[in-house]
Amino acid sequence: MRAPEFSSNTLNAISKLLAKNPEYYTIWNYRRRVLQALFNREGAPPANLIASDLQFLVPLMVQYPKCYWIWNYRMWLLDQVKTHLELDQAVQFWKEEVGLVGKMLTRDERNFHGWDYRRHVILQLEELQQVSMVESEFEYTTKMIRKALQNFSALHYRSKLIPRLLSERNASNTDRRKLFDQELDMMQEALIDPFNQSAWFYHQYLMSTLDCAYPAADLIITDLLDSDRQRYLEQEIERIKEILEDYDDCKWIYQSLLQYHADFAAYVSTPKDEVGQWLSELQRLDPMRSKRWAHVQTILKL
Amino acid sequence: MSLASGPGLGGSSPDMLWADKHVEYIVSLDKRDDEYEYWLTEHLRLNGVFWGLHALHILGHPTALPRDDLIRFTMSCWDASSGGFGAAPDHDPHMLYTCSAVQILVMVDGVSVLDEPAEPGSSETKRMRVAHFISSLQDRETGTFHGDKYGEPDTRFLYNALNSLSLLGKLNLVDVPLAVKYIDSCSNADGGYGTVPGAESHSGQIFVCLAALSIAGVLDQRLKDDSKWADRLGGWLSERQISTGKGYGGLNGRPEKEEDVCYAWWVGTSLVMLQRSHWIDRPALRKFILSCQDGEHGGISDRPGHAVDVFHTHFGIVGLSLLEWSENKDGEASEPLGLEEVDPVYCMPRSITKALSRTG
Repeated sequence: MRAPEFSSNTLNAISKLLAKNPEYYTIWNYRRRVLQALFNREGAPPANLIASDLQFLVPLMVQYPKCYWIWNYRMWLLDQVKTHLELDQAVQFWKEEVGLVGKMLTRDERNFHGWDYRRHVILQLEELQQVSMVESEFEYTTKMIRKALQNFSALHYRSKLIPRLLSERNASNTDRRKLFDQELDMMQEALIDPFNQSAWFYHQYLMSTLDCAYPAADLIITDLLDSDRQRYLEQEIERIKEILEDYDDCKWIYQSLLQYHADFAAYVSTPKDEVGQWLSELQRLDPMRSKRWAHVQTILKL
Repeated sequence: MSLASGPGLGGSSPDMLWADKHVEYIVSLDKRDDEYEYWLTEHLRLNGVFWGLHALHILGHPTALPRDDLIRFTMSCWDASSGGFGAAPDHDPHMLYTCSAVQILVMVDGVSVLDEPAEPGSSETKRMRVAHFISSLQDRETGTFHGDKYGEPDTRFLYNALNSLSLLGKLNLVDVPLAVKYIDSCSNADGGYGTVPGAESHSGQIFVCLAALSIAGVLDQRLKDDSKWADRLGGWLSERQISTGKGYGGLNGRPEKEEDVCYAWWVGTSLVMLQRSHWIDRPALRKFILSCQDGEHGGISDRPGHAVDVFHTHFGIVGLSLLEWSENKDGEASEPLGLEEVDPVYCMPRSITKALSRTG
């Protein structure tokens, strides 16, 4: 792009081009330069220019929800808000983004651009307003998980929010145990469908709280005694075995039993025969990953 | 190099590789500039050249595209004032295309064109200016990289930077330990990595982070010190293989998503780097990729029945190379496809990266 011309006519021409091909990243840059020139001109208040540009992007985002350049351009636009507008007005602009990204994630609950954008918006709002939004974000993940228990993206976000949530609540040991219990109960409900691999990964994340080798800052409960670990492990293994009664063809059940057996052998002991049986069921149900199960066999010295 | 999709659909017999057809398909892409879609994909041109050229190398036809034309086109995408490369002539410079440009120049043994003065009479070389463009995009506080002066950081760009700077012999211009620290801050409980701290694990992002750790020289030690992490991440990656339905054998990028040929690379090479590529069913993945070929006109699609394109053709071919060579190493050779070996870290022919590490 040489010899640039910066006017609102140029902006319209650019809009037409981008609506045809939003991947044309050089044109997005050109649009940035035109807008910057217009910001510095008298007559057009930056707030109006930015508002109409944000509006222009919405149908494109809906049509091309995975286009990196559109998301990037939107973040740049909102950065301009911080430079060109008063704080109150800037906050309003950013707040509207929460609503927009909520709609995008309703259309596609796994779009990682959407989730990344959401975290970006929240971080900016927290900085601009000097407030924490961790509680409302935690609520949001609850809502999304209730809608689809296999939403790995929402479960992931939740796992990242929990340590912050607990620390900002100044959670007591009792509060921490309560939250841990609630999370385990929620997964017990999710695992009514034991083929839900997202729930198993989240369950694994929860169980890492019982692991002494795990970084203390990420632990949900910080004052666990070995007797607590044992109690929790017995409870969870019992629950998983209950699922087994209804599903003897789901590899995830055996996989998790073996995983927790390997990680926590010091707290719960299972007869070698039973462990061997889990492994041979797993080998039978999941031949695609047979070499991985052979590795597990070596580790467990079976 | 046209990135227009088609004309054919993938969906061929899963038992053989139509290598000659793929060579013809890639070479013919250059002659499709009369199609509308050719111009719609101009924003990817230099990436497209890289994908096509690399696939040809792996297919054993490294000279099927004329070397002089490749160098001329690549340099026509260079922006002397910034030092970066754009997707096509007169496009803005960006990390993605700068990395592709360096990889292309290295593959055609043409990187010495960068040893000319940046401008007539300048004492600075083009190589130095390219390296400065890349290093200027590092965030010196966090260690990560931006793609250009406007965009947000992403671990993809961190990988591009380490890859191309090490090829140029200029890794010393950036803060590598800080970049490693940043990668660690992007790690998740499942062992994987995302685009930025807090982001969800994604196979593409796992590839770039592991490869960057490898270029930074810290991956081997970590595999020795922390086999539990390697088991956890290797396990997560191995679960990307689909075991039921029509996607059988294919890989997805995240839990509960659909299979796509390109993950044969992102997941496959991550497993190779973790020394756990045998944790998936390699023959089943090979069959899946082969079933995405267009056996008549050449080219590979994302999944059977879809239109072929150069992106999936490339990642299908390099995925097959990964499978063939990792099976060989494990003494599990199935029917040989005769592909050249791909370097799992650089995504370039192993013969070329090996020669570089000898001279460098």
